[in-house]
Amino acid sequence: MAVLRYKLISEGKVGKYTVPLNIIFVDSKDIVASGLSQDDAVTKIASQIQGPAGISVFDMEAVTTTSDGIMVQGAIIKMAASDHGRINSDFGRLDMAEMEYSPEIVSEEPHLKQWQTLFSGRRLFRGPDPQKKVIPVHNVVISGRASNNNSATEMMNIVTMEEILLPILGQLEIMNDGEVLIGNTGGVISVGIGMTVAEKFGRVFPTRQFRAGETAHNCGEYAQTLKKEIPCIVATKRTLAKAIINALNAGMVPGLHIGCSPAVLSVAKYLGREIDIDNIKDSAWEELISIGFSKKWLQVEQKVLTEAQFLERADELIPGVDEPFKKKVSELVKVMEINI
Amino acid sequence: MKLMHTKLPDFIKKMHEAVHKHFADRDLNIKGLENLSSAKMQSLRTGRIEHAVEEMVLTTGINQVEMVIIPRVPETMHTVIIKGLGEDGEVKKAILEVINILHCTEEVELHDCNDIDDRRPVIGRH
Repeated sequence: MAVLRYKLISEGKVGKYTVPLNIIFVDSKDIVASGLSQDDAVTKIASQIQGPAGISVFDMEAVTTTSDGIMVQGAIIKMAASDHGRINSDFGRLDMAEMEYSPEIVSEEPHLKQWQTLFSGRRLFRGPDPQKKVIPVHNVVISGRASNNNSATEMMNIVTMEEILLPILGQLEIMNDGEVLIGNTGGVISVGIGMTVAEKFGRVFPTRQFRAGETAHNCGEYAQTLKKEIPCIVATKRTLAKAIINALNAGMVPGLHIGCSPAVLSVAKYLGREIDIDNIKDSAWEELISIGFSKKWLQVEQKVLTEAQFLERADELIPGVDEPFKKKVSELVKVMEINI
Repeated sequence: MKLMHTKLPDFIKKMHEAVHKHFADRDLNIKGLENLSSAKMQSLRTGRIEHAVEEMVLTTGINQVEMVIIPRVPETMHTVIIKGLGEDGEVKKAILEVINILHCTEEVELHDCNDIDDRRPVIGRH
């Protein structure tokens, strides 16, 4: 008998934080092992969960990008939402689009230089192709109360209106049985989310709407409040720092090739790496200054840290996540099995 | 052309009448139109919905009928009009913005019901 395996974070509480819906993580390899198609597997898993649920299906051999343009291994290739065991037939599931490598796409999206340098030959997925949607909603799937947004990185219960942020690096830690940080987003992450890069079929935007150095939020001091009080499950600062260092070592310049998020700027600043300060737009500066990241701070000379020194102090040097605690993934998720 | 769209009060009245026609002592609970004060309702579907209400109220084992109207597309885009009024109450200045609103889909109303006759056309048809 075949088995379909998946990981589950149940609706309820983790520490003092609310998980507003069931969160499900599926490895495409486990779907292959079950003998089911991906759609049938997602339908089968949804049928086991009575409450609202958000579902991410991963290809851990593929690559993806964070919203600020850091390329990492492990990609969400399908997302779904379910409620009362059902997936809405029109709006309940979406596949992410596979992007073809070409010199043209790297020219349009300079952060993709990381693709050849760090992940040559791997398949790339970010968000869905808008032409595959029934109607041009944002990158969201909804079934009943469950809403799974921005290519499966923000999930919510529309009735209680509670939300949880699941940035891709944290989800990859869950898939890799690592360690995560759980806390409230706070103002720094609220601002950082807006520091996107231009991508076709991106995680949040289907077109190349906002480039490195710009802010998608574009609302001054209000940006720090937009996503401020939301529970989040993210990678540890050390894991985040490693991913950013890899990007910097691949020649990425914050503000030019990759986004000017507080985390990226912090790593680059302490390692003494180039930051394209002049390419960061005034509207982005306004938001960064509101959370204590001034142009002057970036320009002040200070002792450069080695990568190892920075990684040791990553918790202290990368800002973001209020009142966090670390948790081993094995203590956070339940591994579930369905006999097929 | 007069009948191409039904007035909102007429739509509501027609739905109640579809129940009262058979059971004077029963009523129909309509949810989802509370925010509308003035609207024209698609006539083509109005008749079919009246028919569906009547069919439901006459179904054996059904004691009451409820009608819930929710957006078919669960992310609706709305224009936000920020108006600046002068002393005389006239609009002196305006800013137009947009806001997308997320809504639940029908599963939230249906719970574990398995007897669902989905008569909706595919999206894009009327």
